[in-house]
Amino acid sequence: MATISRTNLEKQLNILDYALSSLWRRRLKSLSVLLVFAAVIFLLASFQMVTQALTDKARQVLVHTPEITLQKMSAGRQEAIPLAYQEQLAGIFGIRKVVPRIWGYYFDEVRLANYTVMGMAVDQMPEGARLDTALASGAMPGPDEQGRAVIGQAISKALALEGRATFSLFRPDLSLKGFTVSGEFSSDTDILTNDLMVMSLADARDLFALPSGLVTDFCIYVANPKEIETIAKKIAAALPSVRVLTRPQIQKTYQVVFGWRSGFGSICLLAALAAFVILAWDKASGLSPEERREIAILKVLGWETSDILAVRFWESVIVSGLACLAGMTAAYLHVVYFAAALFRPVLMGWSVLRPELQLAPRIEAGDVLLLIAFTVIPYLAATVIPAWRSATVPADSALGG
Amino acid sequence: MPRLPSRWCSPCATARRCAEAMRPAFLFFILLCLLLALDGALLAAGRSRSKAQGASLGKLAAATSALGLTDLAVATEARYTRHPAVSDPMAPFMDHPGAIEHFPTGAFWRPPSSH
Repeated sequence: MATISRTNLEKQLNILDYALSSLWRRRLKSLSVLLVFAAVIFLLASFQMVTQALTDKARQVLVHTPEITLQKMSAGRQEAIPLAYQEQLAGIFGIRKVVPRIWGYYFDEVRLANYTVMGMAVDQMPEGARLDTALASGAMPGPDEQGRAVIGQAISKALALEGRATFSLFRPDLSLKGFTVSGEFSSDTDILTNDLMVMSLADARDLFALPSGLVTDFCIYVANPKEIETIAKKIAAALPSVRVLTRPQIQKTYQVVFGWRSGFGSICLLAALAAFVILAWDKASGLSPEERREIAILKVLGWETSDILAVRFWESVIVSGLACLAGMTAAYLHVVYFAAALFRPVLMGWSVLRPELQLAPRIEAGDVLLLIAFTVIPYLAATVIPAWRSATVPADSALGG
Repeated sequence: MPRLPSRWCSPCATARRCAEAMRPAFLFFILLCLLLALDGALLAAGRSRSKAQGASLGKLAAATSALGLTDLAVATEARYTRHPAVSDPMAPFMDHPGAIEHFPTGAFWRPPSSH
């Protein structure tokens, strides 16, 4: 029994030797196929790793997002919500806390950058006292402090503060509003706070010239998290003109926002599909006369059809396996060590403030198997089937006899 | 003393002779092992990076809950890619009737379908 298995192993090793020599004989063609194949796998794997790392980060972080966020809608657009709605919300049983917030975007025309400005009473928020731990320097302004702001790392660089602690922003009427930097967010929180400027509610109202009695949205916290959906329905019934966003909805957004159906994802997938169709068409259109002749000579020398199929199988396994390994390794290096540099022009577009992406993709067996199923297995099928068709032809007819 | 032929003292020639003596399957096996060793090293480095990032999760959690943040600050060029979770799906096309979405990041970020 052991002798038979050793003989079989020796036979397979000999076939592998022959397959490797055969690939080496056609090394230019083999290398071209391997490189194109590896590039396709690199593209698919890079996209998968980037989207997975961002989705993971969002899932880890957004468990702390407000339980319910309330916005007012008018003519299909979001608009300011009256503070008076708080009275109606107070009548809904189960709501623990309602925190009004003013936030929006400030376009810096000098630097062509968008800042996210957020004004709120941080001390009213859950974990508000712990926010100082997310700062690299300084402290959050107190509830009564005016004209003080905490800024993200990218804003600090964009404003080129370099030791200065003051800067000014324009109100809508082009008058200047001065701010003092009371702290800077840590670079560890760049993925959330890179373009963020946090100030008091009064300062944000003054900056955006928002009338008193109006805010941008409400953060609502409930007594029992299991009742989020029920309370959301009650709010929607009590205030029909508002949009109610629950924490599960916000979390779900980031589970679907990166996907193969996005424009860029579709391009990656279609490029890979087109490459495979061309490859499969080339292979399925039949073997070259030289390859048919080689198969015929092998059959004359006593090789069986199964041996020829084994050679073709090993050739395909070597090319597709090496391409898969090289493509996935290159994709991992690209995403982790080069911060997905090839995708950044599309991922960040015309953004002026760009966070330093520190992506740590999970490599799971399921994802690797999925990639293999989409790439290696079709290649095996595309190469072995024409070889089988050719190997079943009698040797004398293949040699022209 | 006669000099030895150069092929005897050249390391390249020796390596080539060794490689010629080895069967191709063995050479392929060595290449495979090298690639797998590289992948193993990358995986180990990746784990330590993940651990280091895990240490900063506390800061991220504090920022999210204290400010009620809803989105990642990755693409800051358009409001619907800066805050996809709280922007409505129509936002890319709202500038004027018949407007088409034109920001590059719109190609990467799929409009949310959960609202």
